[in-house]
Amino acid sequence: MLDTPKEPLVRVSNLKMHFPIYGGLLRRRTGEVKAVDGISFDIFEGETLGLVGESGCGKSTVGRSVLRLYEVTGGSVTIDGRDIAHAAPEELRKMRTQMQMIFQDPQASLNPRMKVSEIIGEPLREHHAGSAAERRERVLELMDQVGLNRDFANRYPHEFSGGQRQRIGIARALALNPKFIVCDEPIAALDVSIQAQVVNLLEELQERLGLTYLFISHDLSMVRHIADRVAVMYLGRIAELAPRDDIYAEPLHPYTKALLSAVPEPDPSVEEKVERIILAGDVPSPSNPPKGCNFCTRCPSVMDICKRDEPEFREVQPGRFVACHLFNQTT
Amino acid sequence: MTDTTQITAPPRNQWWDVWDQFKTHKGALIGAVFFILIILGVIFGPWLWGVDATHIDIRSRNQGPSLAHPMGTDQLGRDTFARMMAGGRVSMAVGLTAMALALGLGTLVGVVAGYFKKLDGIMMRTTDLFLALPLLPLLLVIIMLFRDKLNSAFGPEGGIFILMVSAIGATSWMQTARIVRGDVLAIKEREFVLAARSIGTPSRRMIIRHILPNVLSPIMVSATLGIANAIITESALSFLGLGFPPDFPTWGRLLFDSVDYLQQYPERVMWPGLAISLTVLSVNYMGDGLRDALDPKIRGR
Repeated sequence: MLDTPKEPLVRVSNLKMHFPIYGGLLRRRTGEVKAVDGISFDIFEGETLGLVGESGCGKSTVGRSVLRLYEVTGGSVTIDGRDIAHAAPEELRKMRTQMQMIFQDPQASLNPRMKVSEIIGEPLREHHAGSAAERRERVLELMDQVGLNRDFANRYPHEFSGGQRQRIGIARALALNPKFIVCDEPIAALDVSIQAQVVNLLEELQERLGLTYLFISHDLSMVRHIADRVAVMYLGRIAELAPRDDIYAEPLHPYTKALLSAVPEPDPSVEEKVERIILAGDVPSPSNPPKGCNFCTRCPSVMDICKRDEPEFREVQPGRFVACHLFNQTT
Repeated sequence: MTDTTQITAPPRNQWWDVWDQFKTHKGALIGAVFFILIILGVIFGPWLWGVDATHIDIRSRNQGPSLAHPMGTDQLGRDTFARMMAGGRVSMAVGLTAMALALGLGTLVGVVAGYFKKLDGIMMRTTDLFLALPLLPLLLVIIMLFRDKLNSAFGPEGGIFILMVSAIGATSWMQTARIVRGDVLAIKEREFVLAARSIGTPSRRMIIRHILPNVLSPIMVSATLGIANAIITESALSFLGLGFPPDFPTWGRLLFDSVDYLQQYPERVMWPGLAISLTVLSVNYMGDGLRDALDPKIRGR
């Protein structure tokens, strides 16, 4: 399977998402939050790309702008050969069947006034898929697929536990047979015991339905479990993107190193020997990012050039992309 | 694990669930019974009682309650009971229609202002403008200006009815608009709206399917308060002598006419006052129960 050159299903190039800040007496535009500032990546069909980073680095914004839930500031997003970022509204509506999203908070992402069958059936109704009876049959089928009892179809979301609600959200995302699903921290709001169930369900569905995931998370060990490749984000940009095993075995970017050294080690004897890289200072404000490399204010191996020039996001080893001046010489 | 022999029942109409919950609210049930009694009373009462509300019998004027006149007679010998029922018909009609108008207008403005960011500023400033106007003088001016034109177009009763309803409706939608806008702003940011958008739901269906059901509670509350408010405003206008023509009974007009005799015959003020209070109270309790019954989280508890 790995031998055949795979076509990227999703191709994001130089995506920018800036949110305007209005201030002053006249509510003029005084600046902008550069939540996502020029990122590029590909996701191949059937793979899972893990997107990790700390809070506020723009992970969720990437997920939402890839599905064009925000109007992007610049760059392009191509899914299955069609440009999402600049499609006309009616065309976009038709394309939406190809891409779906699973949300972080299963409590907030389900309309409290709708029954489970209505929630799962909404995408079908919206895209006129079949008669009422057919839609109902499809809803029940989806409930089976995600492991929900069919008898729950007429209940309301508040009658379910967090894990069950997330299953409802997954069933809704699957309703239109999408190819690509953005999972926006789907397990962050769940109990640890439920997290594994939901992740296993996602993996099982991927295998069965050939889905492609963009898996957004801050849980590094969960990403290690589910992702094929991992992208590390810092302050609106991708610091490093590499196959999972490579990045966990030998992180290249100083930020990735620091991030991975923070993962707790289950074995206490190993834990004692782990050298943590403690970063000093705070993340700079995305409305006023530092000149040069985003990470230059906190980087342990900062050089002069880092404060002047923005590092290019380049392939330093086959399949491994890094945006860091440390690797200018090595290639 | 799952019982495969059990075929999932088709969804039960949710209004049955609403009714089941509504029944458990004692106050709401009593309120609903009262409200229906009042409605039936004012609709069918005049036919059954058979005494003309405008029939003047000067010889039996200023009588106390008796079998022939259960609520007594007024200074012209007209039967107060018949007048109460005829007046209730008008007051209720004005109250319900004006409430519906105010509610529709308020909800529309609130939802549009809350949902469409670009229209928010101008719509809410308009709402503030209306809120800042002194309403009673404004109503008086509206009635002064348009009464004659409408009277000639729709007849004296039809004209004043339209005038009253639109004047009250047009001056009492602001609270609803503000409450609804606030709730829409909060609900718009919830993830299920984003989820609906990721499916490709257009704004129109988004509002109908996701926003409106979730702002139902505040709308219900303002509806119940709105009926009360409209009846009271109509009474106030009639009381000031600006509502319906003098011989045309409404609860407010009855109050107005009885004030002159407050010292000799205090019961005459009490009848319309009691009717207004009972209606308002029953509607409020009913709205309370309905709001609870429409919320799936409270329902079934």
